[in-house]
Amino acid sequence: MNSIQGKRKWEPYVWLLPSILLISIFVVFPILIVFKLSFSEITPGGVIGGFIGFRNFTDAVKLPAFKTVMMNTFWWVISVVGLSTLLGFIIAMVLNQQFRGRKIARSILVFPWATSLVIQASVWNYIIKYEYGNLNNVLLNLGIVGQAINWRTSYTVEFIWECGVGIFVTVPFVTFCVLSGLQSIDGSLYEAATVDGAGFWSKLWKITLPLVRPSLTVSTVLNIIYVFNSFPIVYTMTKGAPAHKTDTMITYLYMLSFYERKKGPATALSVIGFLILCLCAGIYMVTVMRKEEES
Amino acid sequence: MRDPDLKKANRLSLLLLVLGIVLALILMSLPLYRFNAAVYIKKSPNTFVGDEKYLAVKEEVETVAEGYRAQGFDVELDEDVLTRVNSKGETTSLITFTINESFSKNVFSFLGSGLPSETVLILILAMTALALGCALLGCRGEMDLPQRYLPRRSALLRSLACAALLVAVLAVPVFVLMNNYAFSRQISLYNAGLIEEGREAFFAKMDRLLFSGQMGEGIGSALAGLDVKHAPLIWMLIPALLVSLLAAIQLRFGAIRSTLLRGLLYLFVIIVCLVTLYPYYVMTITAFRSNAETLDMYFLHMFPTKWNWSNLTDIIHRGVPRYLLNSLLVAGGATVVAMLCGVPAAYAMARMNFFGKKAFLGFVIMSQMFSPVVLLIGISQLMNTLHLNNSVLGLMLINAAFNQAFAVWLLRGTFVSISPEMEQAALIDGCGTIGALTRVLIPMAAPGIVTALIFVFINAWNEYTISTVLISTDANRPITVGITQFSSFNMIEWQYLFAASLVATIPVVILFMSIEKHLTAGLTSGGVKG
Amino acid sequence: MKKFLALLLAAVMVFALAACGQQAAPAPAAEAPAAEAPAEQPAEAPADEGVTLDVIICQYGPNTNEWFLGSGMNGTNFVDKFESENPGIKLNLEVISWNDVHQVVDTRIANNNAPDILNIDTFSEFVPDGLLMPVKDYCPEDLYNDFFPAFIAESVIDDTVWAVPDLASARALFYNVDLLKDAGVEVPTTWAELEDACQAILDYYNGEIYPWGIDMTTDEGQACFAYYAWGNGGGFVDADGNWALNSPENVEAVNFAVGLVNKGFTNPNPATETRYDLQDMFAAGKLAMLLTTNQLPTYVSDKGGSINMATAGIPANEGKTGSSVGVMDRVMAFKDDSAPDQAARNEAIGKFLKFFYDPENYVGWVSMEGFLPAVNSAVEALVASDPSFGAWLDVLGSCQFYPAAKAEWATVRQGVTTVEQNALIGGDVQAGLDALQAEVAG
Repeated sequence: MNSIQGKRKWEPYVWLLPSILLISIFVVFPILIVFKLSFSEITPGGVIGGFIGFRNFTDAVKLPAFKTVMMNTFWWVISVVGLSTLLGFIIAMVLNQQFRGRKIARSILVFPWATSLVIQASVWNYIIKYEYGNLNNVLLNLGIVGQAINWRTSYTVEFIWECGVGIFVTVPFVTFCVLSGLQSIDGSLYEAATVDGAGFWSKLWKITLPLVRPSLTVSTVLNIIYVFNSFPIVYTMTKGAPAHKTDTMITYLYMLSFYERKKGPATALSVIGFLILCLCAGIYMVTVMRKEEES
Repeated sequence: MRDPDLKKANRLSLLLLVLGIVLALILMSLPLYRFNAAVYIKKSPNTFVGDEKYLAVKEEVETVAEGYRAQGFDVELDEDVLTRVNSKGETTSLITFTINESFSKNVFSFLGSGLPSETVLILILAMTALALGCALLGCRGEMDLPQRYLPRRSALLRSLACAALLVAVLAVPVFVLMNNYAFSRQISLYNAGLIEEGREAFFAKMDRLLFSGQMGEGIGSALAGLDVKHAPLIWMLIPALLVSLLAAIQLRFGAIRSTLLRGLLYLFVIIVCLVTLYPYYVMTITAFRSNAETLDMYFLHMFPTKWNWSNLTDIIHRGVPRYLLNSLLVAGGATVVAMLCGVPAAYAMARMNFFGKKAFLGFVIMSQMFSPVVLLIGISQLMNTLHLNNSVLGLMLINAAFNQAFAVWLLRGTFVSISPEMEQAALIDGCGTIGALTRVLIPMAAPGIVTALIFVFINAWNEYTISTVLISTDANRPITVGITQFSSFNMIEWQYLFAASLVATIPVVILFMSIEKHLTAGLTSGGVKG
Repeated sequence: MKKFLALLLAAVMVFALAACGQQAAPAPAAEAPAAEAPAEQPAEAPADEGVTLDVIICQYGPNTNEWFLGSGMNGTNFVDKFESENPGIKLNLEVISWNDVHQVVDTRIANNNAPDILNIDTFSEFVPDGLLMPVKDYCPEDLYNDFFPAFIAESVIDDTVWAVPDLASARALFYNVDLLKDAGVEVPTTWAELEDACQAILDYYNGEIYPWGIDMTTDEGQACFAYYAWGNGGGFVDADGNWALNSPENVEAVNFAVGLVNKGFTNPNPATETRYDLQDMFAAGKLAMLLTTNQLPTYVSDKGGSINMATAGIPANEGKTGSSVGVMDRVMAFKDDSAPDQAARNEAIGKFLKFFYDPENYVGWVSMEGFLPAVNSAVEALVASDPSFGAWLDVLGSCQFYPAAKAEWATVRQGVTTVEQNALIGGDVQAGLDALQAEVAG
């Protein structure tokens, strides 16, 4: 890696200082409070009591829905992050081509991102209603179906819908991350490769992917975190019904905390989630960073 | 210039073009539409086979059937008995009498029916005829001429053939779907009295198509029990015409590969855009509906019957502009703070070597790993201590902090991918580090900076959870919290909710469009790149 | 380098100032001691008798926000009118949606920042922590005696009244008269008749009309439990007021309700189709019978529907007497040890309540969203304004309420919902209720 070596040793830290201050005060402090809470007794009314060791953690793991919720969270993160990264990458490649209407297409793609998740979830919930949903309305009025279709026949289907909405709102983020990476690639690299007789796939593997990798890394790691912690979609569309079968960890701990008022286990659950995320994101980062440094 | 091989290829293409059209015409003449019309249905609850009521009803139904036979219809009488034993041990019974007639029709019989799909059918036929004519004319005597030497007239004719066939292919699904709609939905809507307009005319057209106009008065009930099955074979019209289309493209351009790729590119972009816009279509039409019409249980209207612009003034009256202003302040402020803190940090990360570099990256990522829902207690405590509760400034700083990770990380990636040679040149020219950063690196990193900017703005704009807890007066609420007043315990006011949401989306889109060009401008200015 | 940092700091400061300018100037800490949040007006509060009350109200209907903060109260609003009639008392009033209110209140409590007055559905979770004040401490005697005694009794824990009723709603069977008549069906009074009626409606309309509405969503599952368990002689608690969730009657009741779903008598997705959805279906004439609140007629006419509807008692099992289901929300006051003058604060809360329940204000508030009142003084005016209120008040008199005074209510409420939803996907009701009983009753 090229670098401009600072003359003074402390200089880099001055550059970092504003960022560190901002994060420490507004994010790290609340995180520390969460850690403290997870070892404290919290009454159903919300009053914080004394230190009780790991009891909140053991209670959390013993919850009957714990396993279901963990599996749901796993599928939720894998499907949403995986598919939206794939789709986002493809769309970014297409939007990077020259064609008429490209500017309009890009602006349209920003829409799902520009609308808050609560609204997105409400709209989709409204769309897939059996009795008056807009999807049935459109399909019926265009003559595509003759009878209204029940789009939510089982909780598996509902969960797939939730993942679909998750993908819908995540794709623009990936697309624009990748696009910003693609834009910085020098066109002469491709010209040289074409002269050397490289085909589409070899250009993709040898030029595009390595150069887009930093952007892709950012979007994937952050997406893992955001999707893991994403709350409004599941909460608005099913509230985990039936019987936590569609809950992810974050909605489940919300229900625990504010509906069932088991605030201690809920906080412990959030710390468990944090540790899982640290592990996943950590592993991912270490492997990807190593590759990045190698190349 | 003349090329005998080309002649062979073109002859094959022309043959395929004709073949596709002939195939389509054959398909159209097959009896693909099968109808089973229950021309008359009578339901009689609490009736038992053989009792007085049964006999009376049966006689009534048979009289009707006789009437149909007298008119020359070949009808059958069906009787369906549904008996159940209820909880009290009593037997209940529901008897349904139906009079049926079955027949089939081919596509050509829609000609002269007057139904809206007739127009589409005529369009398809006219376009295929046009294509055929143009292709034949455009090839006459020039079968062995390479495409780029074609005289203008022939080129134009062949292009016209392509366009006509494209229209024909696209019109096929329209024809099929229009029929589906007419046969199932439109009939049931008219019969249920859910729509009135144009009922008589529509029924007369149906009568002409199905019963040669003989059903007259009884057409309404005859259509009520109509069961239509179109053979899936009708969809084969599309591949048949597609073959012709591809052949026409081959005739016009010589190579279909690049044309097809271009077509697929547009198709892909159009599909992506349609899917993306779909929820916004839903929001828009709902936003302008009246409260009563948001509940469109019978799926009557794809668009509001009356566009209620007053919904917009209503939400303005209910505080939306103030909420928008708050959101703008929060998001704008958060973006400025996040970039002011993030750019220097990313610069240091990309260009300097120092102890604890990786640790800082880990620290930044770690700061993202809790959902705001979980951190609420801590944030609220912090804000109490700083006296920033219920303030726009507090929200601004919180949002800036929560988006630091992305800003720092993405910018670092962008800076790394830009070679430092330009800055070094600037440094040698006498610029300071800051000069090199602001005058050289930042303009070159525009795409990454714009992405980060948009990202922070959008995230802050959409933040909801923290605002609900921190903001305790109506005057300080951002738009995300403000619109919760439209979904209350008693009623969700969909029209206001979606109107306000649309209004809230617009500023972000405007912001995006105004800086989008930087996203594309990128490194066009040249320079040394790695 | 330094120049850059200075610039950066300056920019941050400018933005900070701009933001401060937007909100009202932050209140100095000493100025309004009772208020934790910055007061809206800087220097106006009189030094001798300034009490500020933080009030949280839940969003009941489209008009709630306008009523309290906008101009929905004859051109003025609740806060302005109260403050002009009670000089020296400031209200810092928030209207919060039901979806968020628990989150907001709990977070504030965790930071010792509880509101002074709270309007919400439950109260029992706040009592063991000593967060609430007994009603006797602040409620004026004449107002206290004005509440329906049966309502007050629902907010008693250990012989102390902790909250006063805010408003109530009663639930009954609504049916679509025309749909039932065409299908030749009588209004069911027992479960067996109910199944017969459902079958007949299903047959007659070829399944195009849903005979019966069931709402087992996460927010309303407890109501569903109450409808059927109380109609089968069961319920949440036994005669002594102890949890009795796994009684055979309850198991039978839940199985019956789920049976209705499985036989196809109901709306297809009971775990996610909310009360709004069911009311919408009813308003559109797609649902023949529905158990819901007395506000349904208002809802239907707001939605532009014109259904010929009538009400009846909730069907019960053979040989059991059904019970109407009542739902009540409450107003409660939190302790605030940091308030310098407790007596003045208590008096202010009392004045708030007096103003709130003053028929002049209260009647408009209750009738605006079609709720039922909780005080005697409002009855006369309400019945005069709408005769149907009288019938509903009778129903209300015979209602059973949720055992919201029991400390485990929150757990039970979610627990029975989970059991129902589990049964919908084939789970065992007995096992689920056994586990829940073991959890709450030890």
